[in-house]
Amino acid sequence: MLLFLVFVLGPFVVAIGLSLFRWDMLTPPEFIGIENFATLATDISFYNALRNTFAFSLASVVTHLTAGFLLAVGVNALRSAVASYFVRTSLFFPFVISWAAVALLWRYVLDPTFGMGTYYLQKIGIPTPNWFTDPQWALPAIIGIDWWHTVGFTFVIMLAGLQTVPAQLYEAARIDGAGALQRMWHVTIPIMSPTIFFASIITFIGAFQIFDPIQIITPNGGPGESTLSIVMYLYQQGFEVFQTGYASAVALVVFVIMALVTALQFWFSRKWVHDV
Amino acid sequence: MGDATQQETFQSLFDEFQSSHPDITLNANGIAAGDWATFGNTVSTRIAGGERVDVISVATEGQRLLASKGLFEPLDSYIDRDSDETQEFYDQVAPNLKKWIDTYGSPDGSTYFVPGGYNTVVMYLNREVFDAAGVELPETDWTWDEFRSIAETVKEETGAFMTTAGAAFPFGEILPWLFTNAASTLSEDWATATFDSPEAIEAAEFVKALVDDELVPQPGGEFDGATQFQRGSLATLTGGRYTLPDVRRLEMVDKTKIVNFPHNAGPGTPVGWDGWATFQASENKEAAWTFLKWMMSVEASTYYAEQGGTNVPARQDVASSEAFLKNAPEGTELIATGIEFGTPVPSPDKQAQVDAEVTKGWEAAILGNKPADEALFAANEAMQELL
Repeated sequence: MLLFLVFVLGPFVVAIGLSLFRWDMLTPPEFIGIENFATLATDISFYNALRNTFAFSLASVVTHLTAGFLLAVGVNALRSAVASYFVRTSLFFPFVISWAAVALLWRYVLDPTFGMGTYYLQKIGIPTPNWFTDPQWALPAIIGIDWWHTVGFTFVIMLAGLQTVPAQLYEAARIDGAGALQRMWHVTIPIMSPTIFFASIITFIGAFQIFDPIQIITPNGGPGESTLSIVMYLYQQGFEVFQTGYASAVALVVFVIMALVTALQFWFSRKWVHDV
Repeated sequence: MGDATQQETFQSLFDEFQSSHPDITLNANGIAAGDWATFGNTVSTRIAGGERVDVISVATEGQRLLASKGLFEPLDSYIDRDSDETQEFYDQVAPNLKKWIDTYGSPDGSTYFVPGGYNTVVMYLNREVFDAAGVELPETDWTWDEFRSIAETVKEETGAFMTTAGAAFPFGEILPWLFTNAASTLSEDWATATFDSPEAIEAAEFVKALVDDELVPQPGGEFDGATQFQRGSLATLTGGRYTLPDVRRLEMVDKTKIVNFPHNAGPGTPVGWDGWATFQASENKEAAWTFLKWMMSVEASTYYAEQGGTNVPARQDVASSEAFLKNAPEGTELIATGIEFGTPVPSPDKQAQVDAEVTKGWEAAILGNKPADEALFAANEAMQELL
């Protein structure tokens, strides 16, 4: 309880209070009411960050859930225990590498001058953009890297969910003449729906907090503001330009958005998630 | 500030102080920041968190901002009181440095900083690459046209890149191009944005052409300049004295020559300096002042220069001495003399935000994400709003 007060509730209450002040951390805070929120409403960078974060989160949820599910189905169908173990480990391995190492690794792979990835793509005749400095490609590149790094986690959740589907349901469906796709649609997905729902919630929350790879791969959310995420914007305001009150206002808005989206997900879940 | 090697150098300097002043306990606290903005952020966060320090080293980029917060102790009375010791130091400080510290480092006419050292930007030339390309090394000064022409020959004959281009580090990557073309990001009083001047646009277009023609590696990757310089894949390194530790580490001292940054309108270089200040809240002001006086001494300055300091000592006698010039490439004295024609790195109160706009604009211009004039105009507008 004490830890909760000190590390969760306390900072939350302080953030609410700070959002009503102008404070540069060095001189005394100045009460300005809701001015920070009014400024936020007309802040183009804030909207850019919000747009990028939603785009990243949406892409993240869709690609992770789809790929994680399909990979889990594929691995679950492997008959060889050795092959299954090898594939599971391979898929999960990138997730245990720190984001800093992953970000640096991909910067090397996609280096426009010497990158191995760039080299081989060009070798087979595929022209490559300058991934991290082209505003059209920087965010998709980071989405791709995030997918490589994190899909293993979603895969493991899906695999665990998949292994809870009772075999007799498949057997019954098979006896009723259902094909593979019909079994997937009418048995696997409904039974897996609570797992898929859980994965969608944590993937969205994780994606909305994206910071590390952007900070390392495209510093300052560049080029332009094409990869600026909302958490990075919050960090910049709080710890680079000393607008701590403004950063607190951003943090509160982020909290509200995440709460709303999660609530919406729960509301929609009543329409598609099965009680098991 | 800086990496472990730089902090080690500082620590050995502080150990010298400690051995000559055993009655004062000095606990040095290095901040592993890659740039002064991060350094300033870390310091501010620590102060906000209630940390008490007595002495701090602040770069140009943070001096005006921090001094304007009323955090520092005015040093004038200390300087006057101990003029027997301080006058000799100030007589040795380059006139420009003295003038700039007074102009830009004080919001109210008081002296808050004792000059520590400064940096300018020069070019380190790889003799082997120039030889392989059959190109003569420039003497001291060269023009953009000569630079471009040599770059083409170097590329053709050796395949090496001429230099690197980028936007993440304005001091070394943007300002030298502007200042050698009579342009700047801000006016002299740092009150007006001038990033969209025809001269600035011309500079950006010149660098963009180097990128387009593959005379420099594509910005945005992981090109390790120092390593490629050693391998002969890069003909020049841009930098100040902070580049020297790399050149020494790679055993390239004898294979390198330093010349001024190539110019178009006229010679130019950014100048950034660091100053030592004491905090008003310090409970050890006299001890802090003793330390600052020791930092003014020939002994301290020489020791730091010899240990491989990353800047030019404020004392001109040390900056022109063997301590500064030995184990360094031919032409090292140019890093010190650049202060005569250099321009202070523009550092307004909202330095971090202004720098971010400069970086954004320059990046868009040299990568061709926007036409150079459009990119710099947009950045200039954003900068002016911040000012």
